[in-house]
Amino acid sequence: MSAIIEIENYSWRYLYTKDPSLNNIHLTVEEGEFIGIIGPNGSGKTTLAYSMNGLIPGQYHGIKQGTVKVLGKEVEEYPRGALQHLVGVVFSDPEMQFTAMTVEDELVFGMENLGLSIPEIKERLEWVLELTNLTHLLYKPPYEISGGQKQRVALAAVLAMMPKIMILDEPTSMLDPVSRIRIFNVLQKIKQEQHNTIIVIEHNLENLIPLADRMILLSNSELLLEDETRSFFQHIDLLLEKGIQPPGAMRFFHRLQQAGYYHGNLPLTVEEAAEKLTEIFNSTGAARWSPEQGVRP
Amino acid sequence: MTDYTPFIKVQELTYCYPDGTKALEGINMSISEGEFIAFIGQNGSGKTTLSKCLNGLFKPTSGDVIVDGLNSKTTSIVQMVRRVGYVFQNPDHQLFNSNCWDEIAYGPRNILLPEDEVKIRVEESASVVGLPEMYFEEHPFFLTKGLRQRVAIASILALKPKVIIVDEPTTGQDVRQSLEIMDFLMDLNIKLGHTIIIITHDMPIVAQYAKRVLVMGLGKILSDGPTAEVFSQPGVLAMTFIEPPQITQLAQRVQFLGFSLGTLTVDEMVQQFERLKPMDHQPQ
Repeated sequence: MSAIIEIENYSWRYLYTKDPSLNNIHLTVEEGEFIGIIGPNGSGKTTLAYSMNGLIPGQYHGIKQGTVKVLGKEVEEYPRGALQHLVGVVFSDPEMQFTAMTVEDELVFGMENLGLSIPEIKERLEWVLELTNLTHLLYKPPYEISGGQKQRVALAAVLAMMPKIMILDEPTSMLDPVSRIRIFNVLQKIKQEQHNTIIVIEHNLENLIPLADRMILLSNSELLLEDETRSFFQHIDLLLEKGIQPPGAMRFFHRLQQAGYYHGNLPLTVEEAAEKLTEIFNSTGAARWSPEQGVRP
Repeated sequence: MTDYTPFIKVQELTYCYPDGTKALEGINMSISEGEFIAFIGQNGSGKTTLSKCLNGLFKPTSGDVIVDGLNSKTTSIVQMVRRVGYVFQNPDHQLFNSNCWDEIAYGPRNILLPEDEVKIRVEESASVVGLPEMYFEEHPFFLTKGLRQRVAIASILALKPKVIIVDEPTTGQDVRQSLEIMDFLMDLNIKLGHTIIIITHDMPIVAQYAKRVLVMGLGKILSDGPTAEVFSQPGVLAMTFIEPPQITQLAQRVQFLGFSLGTLTVDEMVQQFERLKPMDHQPQ
């Protein structure tokens, strides 16, 4: 693996604001990594996302310090538009991204801009339609579909361009739980099959945790915590203090830790939690409630 | 039988969109004053359409919606929205005035209240939602999403509806903001006696706040009952692509250890653990 994004001493302040939105950030992303970024609203998550695909400083006015490199080259060195081919962003508000009058045009627009051949466009279109389950909506205008469907169109449009790096800003905020799982399954699939580098900003941690190699906590414009996912959540006290709500099973085990009933690592998934809980009961309970002892009181 | 009549009664409601798509079919239910209900279900299951039928924005294709004794088919929208208020999923779809004061005053003015009454209602609603006076002259679009949502709710409150429906109150909010909005809705419910209906995909929020859950799927009601009871039926939820909260899933996986299928919160889970734990597993 080699570094695909290198951020050093990076600070950004939007023009006309008093405080920086990002303050002295250091972050290296390896090629093929899956990274989760969490933090309260206003902590700088979206600003960080825009900084990695050149929207900042390109499209926004502000003051920058430090460097942001993508594939070894500073974002400012890329010709206009070139960086966006490498780094695709799925915006949290899908309507921000729509330009076309049908879902089909919306999906094809980006690929046409890449100068792809018609057969190639057709092939990719079929692929993303199937991945995101949108075939039946192909000829609908984007304003006639539901919020959840819009989010899937936004994701499909970026997927179709096959960027090396994909950044998704709250990609599932409007989705029902199962559509949410479906999106994360798509991400897992492209991670495994195409080795894209994927960066996801999310409040909903349940689906993110099993996929993320590494997690990052932003708070108040600063990068407060960065670690491999399992170790990251051992800092649960800090996360709770910063207004992050880890999934229910993890919070339950944290409570058991606090009460002295549990001393191991916090479980990352519901499956793991069920296993650990069964162990707690078996390791002590089974020995105690042997049949010779009669009925359990 | 009692002669008690619910505030809202829905009988054999069917609703078709102009293009013929059947969005609701054979809906029967009633809602009493003071309830806190969550409508859940897959995207496109009919939650929002049902809500818009309840406030008279949509008239039934067949069947009846009776609110406070008035049939929505024969009642003007002005009369309906004074009883059932609907806060849009995206506040930006609802807010259109150039300052917050006018936004909140729009409803009361529209039902032709005298200007001094309008003023009282705006001030009351703004204070209930906690919108500071310094924002009255601000353009809503310069506020944060949380504040915009408050303006949207205030503009509905100004009509003093008994029932307030909030579509996706926590979308795009972080955890603290979500809890703040939900606590606020709970205050409206408990302190001011409003009936609250939330439409949401956030199951932990449902588990924590709603007393009753209505599960929708393909335009029908699949399940309707107390929250713990509904979350104890993973089969029904799966039909409409809903998963119970993670803590409920955990309890269901370890049911054989004695945990309850209808566990809703981490607190409840901890209490059960205390009760069920093996005796020699004491805190160290």
